Amino acid sequence: MEQLELLKHKDTINELLARYGVKFGIYKNNIFKEQLFPFDSIPRIIEHDEFSRLEKGLKQRVMALNLFLNDIYGKKQIVKDGVIPEDFIFAFSGYMAECEGVIPVKKIYSHIAGIDLVKGKDGCWYILEDNLRVPSGASYPMIARDLCRRSSPDTFQNNRLEDNRNYADLLRKTMDYVNPGGHTVILTPGRYNAAYFEHSYLAEKTGAHLATGSELVVEKDRLYYVSSNGAKERVGAVYRRISDEYLDPMNFNPESLIGIPHIYEVYRKGNVALLNAPGNGVADDKGIYYFVPKMIRYYLQEEPILSNAPTYLPFYEEDMKYVLEHFDDLVLKDVAEAGGYGVVFGSSMTKQQKKDFIVLLQEEPRRFIAQEVIDFQDLDILDHGKIVPRKADLRAFVLMAEEPMVWKSGLTRFSRNTDSFIVNSSQGGGFKDTWVLYQ
Amino acid sequence: MTMLHFDYKMKIEYEKPVGRCYFTIKCTPREDARQHVLKTKISIFPETEYSWGKDSFGNRQIYGCETEPHRQFILHAVGDVEILQTDYEEKNCEEVMGIYRMPHGKCIPGDGLSGYLKDHDFSENMSQYEICMTLMHRLHQDFKYAAGITGIRTTAEEAWKLGEGVCQDYAHIYITLLRHFGIPARYVCGLIVGEGQSHAWVEALCDNMWIGFDPTNDCLVLDHYIKLGHGRDAADCAINRGLMWNGGAQSQEISVLVEKRERK
Repeated sequence: MEQLELLKHKDTINELLARYGVKFGIYKNNIFKEQLFPFDSIPRIIEHDEFSRLEKGLKQRVMALNLFLNDIYGKKQIVKDGVIPEDFIFAFSGYMAECEGVIPVKKIYSHIAGIDLVKGKDGCWYILEDNLRVPSGASYPMIARDLCRRSSPDTFQNNRLEDNRNYADLLRKTMDYVNPGGHTVILTPGRYNAAYFEHSYLAEKTGAHLATGSELVVEKDRLYYVSSNGAKERVGAVYRRISDEYLDPMNFNPESLIGIPHIYEVYRKGNVALLNAPGNGVADDKGIYYFVPKMIRYYLQEEPILSNAPTYLPFYEEDMKYVLEHFDDLVLKDVAEAGGYGVVFGSSMTKQQKKDFIVLLQEEPRRFIAQEVIDFQDLDILDHGKIVPRKADLRAFVLMAEEPMVWKSGLTRFSRNTDSFIVNSSQGGGFKDTWVLYQ
Repeated sequence: MTMLHFDYKMKIEYEKPVGRCYFTIKCTPREDARQHVLKTKISIFPETEYSWGKDSFGNRQIYGCETEPHRQFILHAVGDVEILQTDYEEKNCEEVMGIYRMPHGKCIPGDGLSGYLKDHDFSENMSQYEICMTLMHRLHQDFKYAAGITGIRTTAEEAWKLGEGVCQDYAHIYITLLRHFGIPARYVCGLIVGEGQSHAWVEALCDNMWIGFDPTNDCLVLDHYIKLGHGRDAADCAINRGLMWNGGAQSQEISVLVEKRERK
C-alpha cells in the first residue's frame, strides 16, 4: 500500500477542511461549542471479500428494519406473535402514535440508514447501533477523499479502491425514487446547526435545493418552495435534516420555529415524501436493538449475516440474573440517552455507584440494556508525527430506493484518547476515510 | 336509535390583528361503529379555504391557514348525528390497543397517584367492567369538581395532588388508574345534551367492547353523548390547535348546544 505519500498531506488537508467549514457542534455542560472534526490521513482499508459480506449483512438488516416499521405502524403482527413484547414498542419515545396508519410513499421508511459497526479482535464485525432518524457523516469521507485525491493523485492511481464519489448519485436516486412530483429539497435548521456543512455539501452534490423551514409553505395539501422573488414551486421530496419533533409545529412540538406547519398533513395524503420517514425511532432505540436479529428471522426467514454485540435485557428475569452476576464485565446503556451519553462500564464504578445503579436497574429494568464489552481492533493514527493506536468504529451508509444500496466507503471515527472506547464524534475524536478495495 | 342535533360555535378575539394563522380543528363528530354522521356544515370567518382529513386516531379534522389579517376568528359547526349503539366493537382495535394500555403524556402516575393506586386491590374474579365501575365511583368520591383550579396542560398527577378539577382532569386520572390495572383506556372529547361546553370522558375496553364511562358525572355514557375524537390523552384530540403571528392577548368564547331530534 502506498499511503506514505498521503501522510505528508495530513496538515494541509486539515487546514482545507477547516476552511470549508467541516465542523462538528457539540454540547458540553449545556454549552454549545463548535469544533473541528480532525482528519487522520491513514485510511481504514477493507478488503473486497470482507466488504461484500458486510454489504450483504447490512442490506439484510435494513430490509428487516424497514419491514418492521411497516408492521409496527400497521398490523403489528410481530407483537401479536409474541416476538417483541409491546413494552418495547409503545412505552418508548421512539414510537410515534402520529404515524399509525400513515403509509409513506412506496412503503419506505428507512431511506438513509447509518449503521455503526466495530471490528473485534476476533476479526468479526459487530453491529453497535442502527441510526434511522437523521444519521449524519457521509459528507466527511466524501470531502476528505476529494482533498486527498487532489493532494496525492498517485496514491489513488496505484491502489485498487472503490471511488466513493457516487454517494451523491445514490442519494439522488433514493430521493427521486419516492418523489411523487416536484422539486427535491434538503431541509436544514440553518447555518448554526452542527451539521450545516453536510447539508449544504449534499445539496450541492445532488443538485437539490437547500432550504430552511421558512422557505417552504403548505397550500391546499401540497408543499411549495418559495423562492426569493416569491415564485412558488411544488416540492415532492424533502430530505429533512431536522428531527421528527421539530418537523411540524401543528402536529408535533408547537414551539418549533424551524419546521413547516401542516407538512405532516401533506405527507399523510401522500403528496410529499419525507426522508427519513417520521417515527423511525421505534426501530433504532437501544432497547429494540436486541430484537433486530429476531426481526431478520421473523420477516425474512433468514439467519442474520452480521451479529449484534452480545446484549442482555434486564427486562427478562434470566438476563437480569446474568447481568447481576457478570456486572463488572458488562457495559450498561440507558436506552433514553444518545450520542455516547448514558453509557457506563460496570468495571469502572465504585462500590457505592454500583449499589445505587443496581437499585435503579431493578426499579426500571426496561430502561437499560447490558452488553459484553467487545475488545475491538485498534487502528493506527498519526499523532504529532507518531503512529499510535486508537479505538475506531465504522458508520456504514445504506440507502434504500428500489433495492437497498450500500455505499462502498463509510465514516470511520476514532476515539480521542488511547483508553477511551467511545468513538462518538459528539465526544471529541476524529475521523478517517474508509477505503473499500475491489478485486 | 337516537338522533342528535349539535351546534358548536367558537369565537376567538385578539387584542391585536393576527397576520397569519394556521389552524387544525377537530370539532366534527367521528364516524364509527358507535355513531353515524348524517350531515355537517362548517363555516369559518374570515372566510378561508381549508382541507378535510383524518388524524392518526381516525378523528376528523379540518385544517388550513388564514392569511387575511383579522382580530376575530369564528368557527361554526352544525350537524346531525345518529347514535347507533353505546357500547361497541371496533374493527382492528387489537392493532392499536397497546397504545391505550401504556402510561403516556398526561396520564403517567407520579408518587401521588401511585400511592392512591396501592389502596385498590381487586380480587381476581372481578370482571373488567366491575373494576371500571368501582374505580369510577371511588374517583368520583375522592376528587372534587371545581373550575379554574387546573388548566389545559395539567397532568393527571398534578390534578390529583390538587384534589379538584374539571372533566379533563377526571378523565386523565381515571385513564391512569384503568391502565394501571391493565385495562386499555382512551380519552374522549365530545358534546353532550344539556352542557354548554365541550365535555371529556373515557372509553375502556371491556371484553372486546368499548364502553364509555363519565367519571365527572359518575355514570355510563349513553345515547345523549356525541363523540368528536379520541386519543391517548387530551392533547391527541384537542378541538383547536393554532399557530399565529402577532395577535397579543386572546379570549375565547365557546357555546355548545346538543338536542335530541325526532327522525323525520
